[in-house]
Amino acid sequence: MSLLKAKSSRTREKRLDTLNAWQGNVSAAVTEFSDGEPVKRIRTFSQSTQDDLLYALRLLAAIRNSVSVIHAGRGCVAAGLFHQVTKGNGRWIVTNLDDRDTIMGADLKLRKAIKEVYHRYKPEVIFIVSSPIVAINNDDIQSVVEELHEELELDIVPIYVTGFASHHAVTGYDTTLHALLKYLAGKRGEHNKNNSVNLLSVAEHPDDRREAERILTSLGLELNILPDEASHGTFRHAAAARYSISLDQDTGNYLGITLRDEYGVPYAEASRPIGIGATGRWLSVAGKALGLDEAAVKLFHEQESERVQKALGDFNLNGVRVYLGLASATSFSVLSLIEELGGEVVGITVSRLDQLHKERLEELSSRYPVLQIHVADGQPFEEANIIKRLSPDLYLGDSAHLGQIGRLGIPVVSLEETPVLGYNGVIALARRFSAALLNRTFGAALARTPLPYKESWFRRSPNWHIKKEVK
Amino acid sequence: MAHHIEGSRNSCALHGALQVIEAIEGVVPVIHSTAGCGVQHFLGVNRLNAGADRFGGPPVSNSNISEKHVVFGGSSRLREQLKNTVKIVEGDLYVIVTGCSTEMVGDDIPAMTKEGRDQDFQVIYANTPGFRGDVHLGYQLAVKALIEQLPSLGKGEQSPIEGLVNIWGIVPHQDPFWAGNLEEIGRLLEGIGLKPNLLFGYGQGLTAWNRVPKAALNVVVSVWGDAPALLLEERYGAQVLRLEGLPVGSAAGRFLQTVGDRLNLDVTRTENFIKSEEKRLSTYLASIADTYYRAGFQREFALIGESAQVVGISEFLAGTLGLIPRTLIITDNPPENVREALLTTLTGLVENSGTEVFFSEDLAEITDIVRSAAVELVLGSALEEPVAVELGVPFLQLSFPLSKQVVLSRGYAGYRGAATLLEDFGSAILSKGYNSHISQESQVHTASESALYGS
Repeated sequence: MSLLKAKSSRTREKRLDTLNAWQGNVSAAVTEFSDGEPVKRIRTFSQSTQDDLLYALRLLAAIRNSVSVIHAGRGCVAAGLFHQVTKGNGRWIVTNLDDRDTIMGADLKLRKAIKEVYHRYKPEVIFIVSSPIVAINNDDIQSVVEELHEELELDIVPIYVTGFASHHAVTGYDTTLHALLKYLAGKRGEHNKNNSVNLLSVAEHPDDRREAERILTSLGLELNILPDEASHGTFRHAAAARYSISLDQDTGNYLGITLRDEYGVPYAEASRPIGIGATGRWLSVAGKALGLDEAAVKLFHEQESERVQKALGDFNLNGVRVYLGLASATSFSVLSLIEELGGEVVGITVSRLDQLHKERLEELSSRYPVLQIHVADGQPFEEANIIKRLSPDLYLGDSAHLGQIGRLGIPVVSLEETPVLGYNGVIALARRFSAALLNRTFGAALARTPLPYKESWFRRSPNWHIKKEVK
Repeated sequence: MAHHIEGSRNSCALHGALQVIEAIEGVVPVIHSTAGCGVQHFLGVNRLNAGADRFGGPPVSNSNISEKHVVFGGSSRLREQLKNTVKIVEGDLYVIVTGCSTEMVGDDIPAMTKEGRDQDFQVIYANTPGFRGDVHLGYQLAVKALIEQLPSLGKGEQSPIEGLVNIWGIVPHQDPFWAGNLEEIGRLLEGIGLKPNLLFGYGQGLTAWNRVPKAALNVVVSVWGDAPALLLEERYGAQVLRLEGLPVGSAAGRFLQTVGDRLNLDVTRTENFIKSEEKRLSTYLASIADTYYRAGFQREFALIGESAQVVGISEFLAGTLGLIPRTLIITDNPPENVREALLTTLTGLVENSGTEVFFSEDLAEITDIVRSAAVELVLGSALEEPVAVELGVPFLQLSFPLSKQVVLSRGYAGYRGAATLLEDFGSAILSKGYNSHISQESQVHTASESALYGS
């Protein structure tokens, strides 16, 4: 059956056996995923974390000429405000469901909101984002979509996020990408092939996107970038492209495989181009798939590598023990960069672990079987406990809780809004690493403020609250 | 029926309650809701007030309910979460706050709180689903929970405290300058011999909250402080003093005078204190005069913010600095019964100036109003920056949300706040260039024209 016939994508836990709570060493992680489906774990104490609704908002913020109507209570659009005022992205309308709406339903309100924003802004597309309230009271969004699509002659795309159906925020990317293709890419077989290559860029830093663009266009490729900064027509174009390559095999996975299975666009998956070596490997995977001149690719890589080496000068991380707290694919790729710079990764926290990471885990376990892996999204109480034991020299993270890590007194570098990809990414990161190690006074100042946890917590094992789920 | 909103800046009740709890030392919120509620608050509130990061990240305890709990109820999950929060997170008091999902499911929060109390946990609760209202409701619900449920924990002080004054109605983070504003109001009250009970911010913990019933006076800075003050009047017979808005500049002197009268304070002491504060402000005004004239500080302005802020700031700008309030937009949805008074105050700031006052929290509407106003200065939130840029006029971010300001201890209340406000808006004018932009829509408002316009 066509993937896109379904109302929504399957959750990550169902599709890829994704775990969000786990701790152990790399070889145990390999065993976990080798013996069939891993056992799901839950937490008996948890902290606020990203959910699918937040990831949907993050992805939609980057779509041009669109308006998003969040069918929800008024607070569910708070993160939209963040995207709007810090990055100038997105136009957000919340239907502001009240007490009565939770009982009676509110499709009239939804209709009214859509019509008003349509007449005011005349966008190319309107997104409807569902929410916990709507998922619980089963408001009928689908008929609103169908009726108004006809009445307004406008593409209206419903995104069925719930806030609770999946433990993995990344499910929100899948749900959104599913909807974008389902409603905007057109039917299988109705496209004329074009010569462009899809660059799958999901919520990447704008500088990272530009860096990937710079590299690929300099090799003569014509790019169709999505979903970041895509517009309405980009998705249709994508369905007829000659190839897809992704910047992140984790976030871009659903888009890549759906374009492949649904529209026959071949998809090359490679580790994120972070560090000189990984960028070279990513480029060579792309080059082979796209039939680029091997010598030209090699020459380009050599020239760029030389430029980076020159910029790095004597900089290295020799003898520096590093902890990584990053999204999964980023974490595995940054690990190679740290190795490249001579540093040692002493532990990692990844946001999730699943079948997509199996190969990488196997490769890692052959080299560092006892390297500790902690699986958690936004659980700083566990991370702080682990890091206190390891006392690394440097922490690299992309979460919202770096303010807590900093109180442990170690140098912290945030990758949340720092470009990391490609050759330029190496230079940008090295500069941040260098500054963090050169002057550690801020960490020392932060360490004067205690963490919000009791001392007794740090005597417990960090995975104390991770339990096997009783079904 | 609640209407849809574009670019909503008033968040939800849960977030308002979190703002209250996070601003009190030693108090820990335990969120019973879906996982994202706390992160929504962190991204959409804390991060848009750079310098508002008490825990070093998103909220430290959240039950993160999943599908199973939506179907079968989440009470047992809350029981487990509360027990473990008390074990892991340092705190003097834990406050359970709820989101939309668990309220729709119908989890019994009072029962879970009671269970916690039976195990000697210091725990109270507030039902705060977002479908019930906005950030201001959340402030009121959390404050009410504290006032009503803290005495039952048995730590209240017994003897009355002479000269103790509670301050209500400044919603932490929704007023980005809340901490500085409270500190300045406190400094002023101390100046006339009183003991301010600020309740929020640095050094404000349960000791302050346990003293609440012992105050001689409850000062209400915005309409959102009405509910707690009335509750305290009803329960403990404490006096209430309502202000029209944030007291900025000379309004602070009038405020102190009223407080002095109410509490029969030493008149000379109060007068001397006000006199010395006034003198300092006058000196500042004289020092800025050259720049004021040269750069043309006297402008028609639009101001967008919460009611207490709009009243206080425009009163100072118009009443002392000679600016012309052209368009005032109040974004916090004050109840109907106070709107008339707000209109009267604000339209009367400068006689015959044709000041227009609007109530709206919808970005589309606010943008239209500002665009058509042809003002020479825009003071508002980050959301108004695009329209200010479009108009080509100086712009200052001073209401929530902020994107280009770090605020730690600055405030606009009182005499010190008046000087800070003058610094900030003056800097905005200087950085944009002296000459006000003349556009196709520019128009010269004369007194007689405006009188017609305003009538």
